[in-house]
Amino acid sequence: MTITLFGLSATRSGRPILHPTDITIEPGARVGLVGASGSGKSTLGHTLIDALRAQGTTVAHVPQSPDEALDPLRSMGFHWREAERALHLAPNPARQAKLFEALNISGANLRKRPWGWSRGMQQRFVIAMALIGTPDLLVMDEPTSALDPVVAAQTMDLLDRYLADRHTALLLITHDLGLAARRVSRLLVMAQGQVVEDAPTLQMLAQPQTKQAQALCAHRNWRTLPC
Amino acid sequence: MIRVMLGLGARAAVVLAGTAFATFALLWHAPGDPALAIALARFDAQVPPEVVEQIRAQAGLNAGFWSAFQAWIGPLLTGDFGRSSVTGREIWPDLVTAASYTFPLALAGLAIGLALSIPLAIIATRRPGGWLDRGAVALASLGAAIPTYWLGLLLILLFAVQLGWLPAMGARTPVHIVLPALTLGLGVAASLTRILRSGILEARSQAFLPAFRRRGVTPNDIERAHVAPHAAVPVVTVIGLELAFLLEGAVILEVIFARPGLGTFLVNAISTRDFPAVQAVVIVAAVIFVCVNLLIDLIYRVLDPRIGEHDA
Repeated sequence: MTITLFGLSATRSGRPILHPTDITIEPGARVGLVGASGSGKSTLGHTLIDALRAQGTTVAHVPQSPDEALDPLRSMGFHWREAERALHLAPNPARQAKLFEALNISGANLRKRPWGWSRGMQQRFVIAMALIGTPDLLVMDEPTSALDPVVAAQTMDLLDRYLADRHTALLLITHDLGLAARRVSRLLVMAQGQVVEDAPTLQMLAQPQTKQAQALCAHRNWRTLPC
Repeated sequence: MIRVMLGLGARAAVVLAGTAFATFALLWHAPGDPALAIALARFDAQVPPEVVEQIRAQAGLNAGFWSAFQAWIGPLLTGDFGRSSVTGREIWPDLVTAASYTFPLALAGLAIGLALSIPLAIIATRRPGGWLDRGAVALASLGAAIPTYWLGLLLILLFAVQLGWLPAMGARTPVHIVLPALTLGLGVAASLTRILRSGILEARSQAFLPAFRRRGVTPNDIERAHVAPHAAVPVVTVIGLELAFLLEGAVILEVIFARPGLGTFLVNAISTRDFPAVQAVVIVAAVIFVCVNLLIDLIYRVLDPRIGEHDA
């Protein structure tokens, strides 16, 4: 199902932080949302998720930091069961074991609470939770910012494999153009609460049209990053 | 965990030793002649000076401060509270009888406070800033501002004098506990409602909750599994502090409602200068306080193990 939303907008204390935006995402597409900090990337992500959920489209979300995704008073096991329940799925140890193995958190103690795990493990746990079901769209907000470059690259490879045989589309929110360049086929550039440019990745990297896209592409060090 | 408990136990011991010494020193140095007061309490008449001196010797009041302190603290460490200097009776049995009236009153007050404040806070926070919420906050502020003794007198006037529904004086039947317990409970409810309300609102504003909504967890599950535990942590602390209010309130209310209990026992002991009895009540109160706070410290660590992680 192609995801189409018109006129997404958001305000904070009466000031618009997201100007009316239309979004179309094809099934299985890999879309990157890039832009400077404070340009409204996460806001667009949240608004999009809330609008899709209201529509009945299934969507999974990986927030920027595990602190925004996990309750410090609840065990990891509780989070997992709750996520399964939210998707109306029966507990399935095999599915859990597979995801944990893929994200390299197999040995971890599920009875512990989030702060008993390292931040990188927490983040991979949150990614695993987002992959429990088969959503129409997976929104990942800076998913690898808590991970070291090698683990980040492994995690993104796993995601690639996971998404390969599914219709799930991916919206990857990042300010890291290097990550986006390697993982997505289409790039949206945001600035001041608006999408200012929307083009296939290679075309954008070769010929950025707007000033903001040019500024992002001018940082050529993304070529040397491992992921 | 064992280290933590040892640390907490050591702290408790220091607090109790300090309380014992401070109580003894304060009473010892209080103005007035205790021997004369005891004589008056015993004989209820003018007594010749020889009798007063005899009482002074009997009660150990003519010994020095340190020897008197040792004579009191030594038996106390083995659980012997000594004898009343006025009646000569053993203090401990009387203290137990008094406590058997005060504890049910304090617990009933706490139960009424919880039973009123939890639903009130939940109703108030359903729509923060709405008229129900404002009403609940106004009611709670009013309740916190009203002194216990005044509220007690108002309730006596209404329910015992005007309506004649409930007995006000004494403790002959179980019904006698209703009015004093209600008075205590309303005071507890007032402060608990405010704490619970702000606790719930704060718990609802936590940064991770939007992610749970976006994950598809139902609002009811979020309230039950993620808001309630966070809101419970401050309430547990406050219940510890409420205990101070409950004991203090019980002392005043027992006098107003003419109930036997620790409060009446303490007031009588103070007015007759019965030092061993006063000291016994203070020590028992301190032990209760320390034990409840220890318990709360431990509950706290179960609720939120991050607390005290680097402690003790």
